[in-house]
Amino acid sequence: MARIRVEVKGVTYEVDDELLYTDTDEWVRVEGDRVRVGVTDYAQKELKDIVGVELPDPGTEARRGEPVAVLESVKATADVYAPLDGVIEEVNERLLEEPELINRDPYGEGWIFTMKPSRREQLQELLSPQAYVERIKREKGA
Amino acid sequence: MKRIPLRDFHVGELGAQMGEFAGWEVPMLYESAVREHMIVRESAGLFDISHMGRLRVRGSHALDLLEAVFTRRVSKTREGFMSGPMLALNVWARVRDDEMAYRVSDDEWLLVPNAAYTEKMKAHLEATARRLGLSDVIIEDLTGKLAMAALQGPKAVEVMRAVGASWAADLKPLEFRLDAGIAGARAFLVSRSGWTGEDGFEIWAEPGEMVRIYRALLGAGARPVGIISRDTLRIEMGFVLGGNEYGEDPREWPCALSLRYGMGAIDWSKKGYEGYEALHACRREGVRWVRVGFVMRKKYARVIPRHGYRILVEGEPAGWVTSGAYSPVLGRAVGMGYMDVRYAVLGEPIEIEARGRVAEAKTREFPLIPRPH
Repeated sequence: MARIRVEVKGVTYEVDDELLYTDTDEWVRVEGDRVRVGVTDYAQKELKDIVGVELPDPGTEARRGEPVAVLESVKATADVYAPLDGVIEEVNERLLEEPELINRDPYGEGWIFTMKPSRREQLQELLSPQAYVERIKREKGA
Repeated sequence: MKRIPLRDFHVGELGAQMGEFAGWEVPMLYESAVREHMIVRESAGLFDISHMGRLRVRGSHALDLLEAVFTRRVSKTREGFMSGPMLALNVWARVRDDEMAYRVSDDEWLLVPNAAYTEKMKAHLEATARRLGLSDVIIEDLTGKLAMAALQGPKAVEVMRAVGASWAADLKPLEFRLDAGIAGARAFLVSRSGWTGEDGFEIWAEPGEMVRIYRALLGAGARPVGIISRDTLRIEMGFVLGGNEYGEDPREWPCALSLRYGMGAIDWSKKGYEGYEALHACRREGVRWVRVGFVMRKKYARVIPRHGYRILVEGEPAGWVTSGAYSPVLGRAVGMGYMDVRYAVLGEPIEIEARGRVAEAKTREFPLIPRPH
């Protein structure tokens, strides 16, 4: 796996080139018949220190675009949205005591939940790494 | 956005992440707001607070003008000292600003308004002088000319000693010194003061001098700290911030008495300042709202109460949140807000309605953390 580094106005954001993205700053990793979801390096840098995480219950059905988790940061409260229709399977319970894992390792130990998609064709509507890089530049006015 | 004088130094040399506060571009944090918070509580943190207003009020009518505007007897301030916090009210006894006056001499004073209110306060002081016929007074805005820094924490004195400013250890609380030397640089003013609940100093200096002072203090063990931590530190202490805990519109904000400002900010024996009649009317008639602090219960330790969330008691609307933050000292979120006095019983459970759900908290007297050093 490789990281694309995007520098905008003195801040560097990493975008993993093997993941898919949403325009609400979630990343999606396809792992067989399920997907793993977290928030991007750009999202955690915008939020600053994350001090609290609320997780969904495993087994919860979610529609694409529905809020399923909450991030509390020193700056704001932010929703995490389901990137696809499906059922939540696992949640990263380590985040309850160590929410800073999202700041430290957003694409790794800071993952938030896994889900089993019910409509896999929705994967094709997610953003490619390149398209997500463009989104960051657009958002930061570069 | 207005730029602080040391902006490029913070970004280029210290790696600050900048953001907007009160119309200014300021360092939000350098690495981690939570760590920076603890640096101030345990060691020594260095804030750039150049966005804070600095007004100089001079002339034989200067004191008369300040007495007409503020809730404290400004005349009681000794030369070389700050007044302690005081309020500027409007005719409805709502708060224009909370600030301190520095007595340089009988006819020379310095004021430090909140960043967002500097121009408003300058205009208000000028209008009051005109209205009262106080002709011999000149108000000058020094904000853009002088940088301002705050060195805060239990090791602040040690850091000042290490840079050769041992004299700073002898300053009493709220005492200041003009034209002071720090590490071979000149400060316009150094005071024993701050806004974190910790010991420390506030330093005013010309930008070039301030860079030298900054380098020396950082070299002696202080660490740079951003404005996010400044906010979480003041919330732990229960200090108020304009726009969060007070404002001028009587339809939106309770009377100044409801703030429970404390620290002698209101002198009840003083008469004749703007808002005096309305403030005493509040006292006679009784207040409907009162500011209280609270700590989230363990189960909701990481639910941050945000400005505007409702406070409930057994489901009944009982008030609203004005500020909240995660307290790194307690490992829990804390906050403050206005409560209907009928429900504002300290030490009892309340509910915070956060985004359609209810989180439990318990009211507590300020400060919300055990008293710092």
